[in-house]
Amino acid sequence: MIKKLEKRTVVIVGGGLTAGLVSRQLTAQGIDVLVLERGGDHSNGAEAKLPSQRDELRWDVRQGLVQKWNVQTYTLRHSRSDTSLPVRWMEAFLPGEGMGGAANHWNGHTWRWAEYDPTLRTHYTNRYGAKAIPANMPLQDWGVTYKEMEPYHDLFEKLFGISGKAGNINGKKQAGGNPFEAPRRGEYPQKPLEITEAGSIFRQTAEKLGYHPFPTPAANSSGVYTNPDGQKLGQCQYCGHCERFICEAQAKASPEVLLYPMLKERKGFEIRLNSHVLGVNYDEKAKRVTGVRYLDLHSGQEYEQPADVVVLGAFTMTNTKLLLLDKIGTPYDPVTGKGVVGKNFCYQTTSSVNVFMKDRWTNPFLSTGSTGTVIDDFNNDNFDHTGLGFLGGGMISANMFSGRPIVARRLPPGTPRWGTKWKQANVDWYAHSFGMSIQGSCYPHTENFLDLDPVYKDAYGQPLVRMTFDWRDNETKMSAYVTKKMEDIAKAMGADIVGPAVPRKSPFDIRAYQTTHITGGTVMGSDPAHSVVSPHLQHWDAQNLFVVGASVFQHNSGYNPTGPLAALAVRLGDDLVRYVQRPRML
Amino acid sequence: MSDDTTQPPPRRHFLRQVITVAGTASLSSPLAVGAGAGAAIAATNAGAADAPAAAPSPGLIGYESFSADEAAFVETMVNVMCPADQFTPNGVDCGLAIFIDRQLSGAYGKGAGRYMSGPWLQGKPQLGLQLPLTPEQFFKAGVEAANRQSGKKFGKTFDQLAPADADAFLAAIADGKVVDDDIPLGSWFNELVYPLFTQACYADPLYGGNNNKVFWKMLGYPGLPATHTLDMVNYRGKPFPGAKDPKSILDFS
Repeated sequence: MIKKLEKRTVVIVGGGLTAGLVSRQLTAQGIDVLVLERGGDHSNGAEAKLPSQRDELRWDVRQGLVQKWNVQTYTLRHSRSDTSLPVRWMEAFLPGEGMGGAANHWNGHTWRWAEYDPTLRTHYTNRYGAKAIPANMPLQDWGVTYKEMEPYHDLFEKLFGISGKAGNINGKKQAGGNPFEAPRRGEYPQKPLEITEAGSIFRQTAEKLGYHPFPTPAANSSGVYTNPDGQKLGQCQYCGHCERFICEAQAKASPEVLLYPMLKERKGFEIRLNSHVLGVNYDEKAKRVTGVRYLDLHSGQEYEQPADVVVLGAFTMTNTKLLLLDKIGTPYDPVTGKGVVGKNFCYQTTSSVNVFMKDRWTNPFLSTGSTGTVIDDFNNDNFDHTGLGFLGGGMISANMFSGRPIVARRLPPGTPRWGTKWKQANVDWYAHSFGMSIQGSCYPHTENFLDLDPVYKDAYGQPLVRMTFDWRDNETKMSAYVTKKMEDIAKAMGADIVGPAVPRKSPFDIRAYQTTHITGGTVMGSDPAHSVVSPHLQHWDAQNLFVVGASVFQHNSGYNPTGPLAALAVRLGDDLVRYVQRPRML
Repeated sequence: MSDDTTQPPPRRHFLRQVITVAGTASLSSPLAVGAGAGAAIAATNAGAADAPAAAPSPGLIGYESFSADEAAFVETMVNVMCPADQFTPNGVDCGLAIFIDRQLSGAYGKGAGRYMSGPWLQGKPQLGLQLPLTPEQFFKAGVEAANRQSGKKFGKTFDQLAPADADAFLAAIADGKVVDDDIPLGSWFNELVYPLFTQACYADPLYGGNNNKVFWKMLGYPGLPATHTLDMVNYRGKPFPGAKDPKSILDFS
């Protein structure tokens, strides 16, 4: 039988980055917080200690830190007329599990998005006219401005000790930074990471072509750092085991380093591990939630946890799932275009090209998850889209993230797949090659959405989330255009060989990693007809329910989501302090 | 070139290799990594760096998953895909067959982490394999199917083929040109067998492949140690000395 527990003030579903930041703000004001996290604590496990931390097969290839697909996966169909099938082993994107969530195994790229991103619909309409946005692209403003988010970006970057070079301080352009950057109040908390050889080659060529290269802003700590809370980061040792790994040197800013150890010392904070949330108790008449139901994985006991306020801070897909399961809000209907839950589900449009230079030593193992040199010239609306037939764009970068030998070997096209010639090519090119890549925007499409699968269930008997998703015209055209720009840069480098630069094309393929930047499903906005939550992330149909994470993004831009996601989480923490003191629509 | 008169590689080659434990392993390195039926012996042989073609001792001994026929298939396959040459010893001596066997007999092979609930329907390849088989079961079914097709084409099982024929046959499977009514051999090779092959070459020697770190030495991957903050500057654009003497988990265990 389900056991009912004592009521708590704020209960947060999911113990990742957003929950840690919301909790920081709340507990600083003495407000009682309980976080429910389905996974355990990685801090003292084999994944966080040498030598076992450096195990590419275990943590990377076999996905040791990732959501267990046998317990919970997703189904996929490319269109409504297809039959959805379960993804039996996912490679395309990798949600995390355990205290810290996916921010344990992240690369560390920490971007602010463009100043116009939160008001993108207005921006495009103003620049290109009302007809520029196609009818099947339900772009919406977010109901918040960059200016409102800036203080929270600033605080988050200080908390996480971000290493980078400013390009725009209070409107004044800064040499060496990103000239397209949204205005920031000051420099990054730490100097940029060291540039790689690949980055140097890219920078030189990009500058020659008139572009504006700069270092990727990074949570991989370029120095020893103490944040405003007194929490410390070690200096990054460039070991090339960041993404898909936990940093054993505590040199990659992560919630399990900078937030949870501190929070556990605070009065009124509790994190309950191995607690898988099954649902949110919703009183539809009162338009309020009363708490959550969860399964204690260590005992098999199901609990009801009453709460004054519930925050959904789980991975994108789970936030949507919980709303759909308990029928909170109106599910999106692609036929009528009405409804909102599951709407504007977006991925990110990536492509890449390999560059081979036999006389240059690129030493891929001297790297971090964020050692990239990047241009923003073809991202978003940083270039004129008149007559191009698409909206959006992508950053182009020369990245060196790891030399891990199972997956990070680059071979020229036409190399035999085995045998002595294959070995010879490995020897010839491993330390004499690098990859360039594009992380591109993905704008919403009326036929890309999330709902509950009618057939397949998870290990707890609940429906899997169903993705109806494919690359639509706007994204394939954008990818073709920006990928050509990347290829042109690659060819201008004087390389011996440039691999094929293949733009992203339909159908969406789950068999190869692309990015874990999944957005939408519980989108934010000022109009309840087009959003699930308000600009303060408050659910329109349940005043004491809040949702935070990339699931609230109305679109996905050509940047990593962590910056705005974290800024919104810190802001939500402050909003919740006000809400707890006087509950109302904020 | 194919040469039909060439002696086929000896069947059950592995039996002859049992118990050739390195005598040169450093005392500071641990040797025993397991015990019992799958007695596991890890050797760190520093001398192998200079003479990769000299057959080093196998890292682990004895198969846990493979039948004799499957072992013969896999040993032939890894020796074709990784012939003894100026870079490495043959695939068996590099531990590639042992690696694949151990992966299949362990959690991965048993389908750990894989969603295995029905109904089982076939769909587009981009949705991933939809077979109600564990990787171990799929691997074995594929070996059987490949032997069946080898029998149809050559009149003998895969392990009896001359190396050049075996090589061409694998290439035909990879290209989807060998069709079996029961098993999708192209997917079997490209999505299961080939990844296991590259993992066997490049994973930490902890798992029985990449014996003596031979592939890491070949590649110039320095392995575990990494206090590269200064190296980033000092060796930017230059050969990195540590790449010649890689260190594995075994070296620190």
